Amino acid sequence: MSANPVLALAPRLQRAGGRDGRTTTALAATAFTVSTALTLSVVGALTGFVERAAHPVTELEREAGSFYVVLAVTATILLVVPLLTLGGAAARLGVARRDARLAALRLLGATPREVVGLALVETALQGLAGAVAGTALYGALLPVWTQVPFQGRAFTAGELWVGVPVVLAAWVAVPLLAAVSGAVSLRRVVVSPLGVAQRTTRPGLRAVRVVVAVVAVGAFMVVSAVGQMAAAVLITVLLTGLALAFLTMNAVGPWVLGVLGRLQLRWARTPAQLLAARRLLDDPRAVWRVVGGLGLASFVAGCLAVVPVLAGGGGDPVGDVVARDLLTGALLTLGITFLLAAASAGIAQAAAVLDRRRELALARLAGVPGELFDQVRRREVLVPLLVVSVGSAVAALVMFFPLFGLAAVTAPSGILLLVGCLGGGVAMVLAATEASRPLLRRVLADTVVRAD
Amino acid sequence: MTPTARPSGPTTAPPDVPHPGATPLSADARLAARGLVHRFGATTALAGVDVDLGAGEHLAVMGPSGSGKSTLLHVLAGIVVPTAGVVTLSGQEVQGLSEKKRSLLRRRRYGFVFQFGQLLSELSALENVALPAMLTGTSRRDAEAEAARWLATLGLTDAQGRRPGELSGGQAQRVAVARALVTRPEVVFADEPTGSLDQTTGHDVMSLLVSSTRAVGASLVVVTHDADVAAWCDRRIDMRDGLVVPAGSTTGGGVGPRPGEREAHAAGGPRDLGSASASGALGGGAR
Repeated sequence: MSANPVLALAPRLQRAGGRDGRTTTALAATAFTVSTALTLSVVGALTGFVERAAHPVTELEREAGSFYVVLAVTATILLVVPLLTLGGAAARLGVARRDARLAALRLLGATPREVVGLALVETALQGLAGAVAGTALYGALLPVWTQVPFQGRAFTAGELWVGVPVVLAAWVAVPLLAAVSGAVSLRRVVVSPLGVAQRTTRPGLRAVRVVVAVVAVGAFMVVSAVGQMAAAVLITVLLTGLALAFLTMNAVGPWVLGVLGRLQLRWARTPAQLLAARRLLDDPRAVWRVVGGLGLASFVAGCLAVVPVLAGGGGDPVGDVVARDLLTGALLTLGITFLLAAASAGIAQAAAVLDRRRELALARLAGVPGELFDQVRRREVLVPLLVVSVGSAVAALVMFFPLFGLAAVTAPSGILLLVGCLGGGVAMVLAATEASRPLLRRVLADTVVRAD
Repeated sequence: MTPTARPSGPTTAPPDVPHPGATPLSADARLAARGLVHRFGATTALAGVDVDLGAGEHLAVMGPSGSGKSTLLHVLAGIVVPTAGVVTLSGQEVQGLSEKKRSLLRRRRYGFVFQFGQLLSELSALENVALPAMLTGTSRRDAEAEAARWLATLGLTDAQGRRPGELSGGQAQRVAVARALVTRPEVVFADEPTGSLDQTTGHDVMSLLVSSTRAVGASLVVVTHDADVAAWCDRRIDMRDGLVVPAGSTTGGGVGPRPGEREAHAAGGPRDLGSASASGALGGGAR
């Protein structure tokens, strides 16, 4: 253990955090667990496809092994951002909850470096706990993944096992990423403590983000149209396009949500509408971190709409297997992305309840009905969620239009899949936000607003 | 209108029925309580308290920490159901109402000013004041117009668009006063309203709270441990160990308002509410 007396206090302070401290620690560790387990699962699948390509057993594996690897890489890229988002949300949650205790330590004479170090040690420990638990969850999920057939046969647990070096790497990487993400959050606190603590109005996001988006979409459409002529570069174009789309959405998403918030504020008639609009305007970036995951998932669903076109379905048995595998893989990717988005949403809602515990409790004492906060919670998630998910799906269709033409839109199975996935994803995220309802009730009931 | 003072004494095992010695409920009291007993587990917070509050009357509840004064406020305001005893508002019993009805009662007929942190941080000052009116069914437009008048009355016109985090402590408490009064409640409950303010700012906030409350004809219950704050009120009761004790037995007499100030308030001439805009604001209710 460190010889530094402040850092030595870390475990004791962790215990002293009380019920809320334990709740946030559990939430953060759970988020790290989920993201670690799913990351290892995805890496395991990628390893499995790489192994099959390197040592093919069937004709299909010999012929299309490398194509499957490319698809697995694509799925991994699709999941990287939501996975990092969830991990980052967990780290921020852990750091944010420590504000009060860190302030108390500062008053006791701890230096800023010691305080930051203490917070990061705690966050890294949560990350480590999550990484270890996530590895166990990954092990528990292996039998589930072995039920899913690819290339005509299901993977064995051995094929999907990432190996000890990767597990150890995860145990180092997850705490490290947690600490880095936490450090970024703390830097904001240090740079502008009042802004974070007192919720002052933040500067608006600039419309230049839209210009960036329009340029990016236009560039992609031109490049992909040219790419059609040279099939060899198609895959490169596809992967580049996906990366470009993610960057574009992350640049534009918060700005769009800010505009949406201003419109909602102008049209608000009821207290729930007013509060939901204000919360969205309060920090569009934070809301984007919640719904952005589903935005990306919807983008994937938009891409899926063209899978039947890509598969063709010309009666070739090998072609049929590939088409089925494409749909299976895409569905799995989508399901995991939705799960990650739902987890991010649940964590963000729980953090919001704990952040506002005093004002919520006082509002209840003054007669504000608890149902109002339920309405606000649903509304503040649902409206941006619908706009972002539908918007992203449409954006995907528009961007891939030059590649696949009208067939993508007219293929009914693809569109049905898209609608089904959007509905399922929205329902899952709403269910996750409902998970914070008991916490809200407990906060309203338990919060002592002033000791007599 | 004098509270029934009971001698201080042991607080173990009080009866779970209205205190046998309770005086009859006053017919003309706006808010009345008899034989209030409240326990948290083995701790007795209220051990048999009687209180009467007349229409427009301002009452200070004083006492040291743990004396039960905040519990009394919570019971009187319908936040907490007493273990035993009766609370009436304009003759109607409230302690037996369901949680939902008591919540409605607090929203529509009571106003609250807490020590700090009661403003919703995502809303502007104007929206915070308008919210209680909107919750009682007033349209957003009318509620915000009424809120703007209140903020102007309390000298906060320039702060309408500011968020709570951008207000000083005194400004935030004045916004809280406006929020408590925007629905023109019958009773305003203030729990250590100046507890987080310096003396000068606290003095200003009390001045506005007392004068504004008086201007709308509301009764006021102020819980405080500060004799200066209590001195703003018409009457004061002191509490110790869950009982009302003779006034002045828990603290010394306060300095209170500056000379002549209290008389001005008592005469209904609030210092900051005499302008045309003030009377306009206070004349039109949001309900």
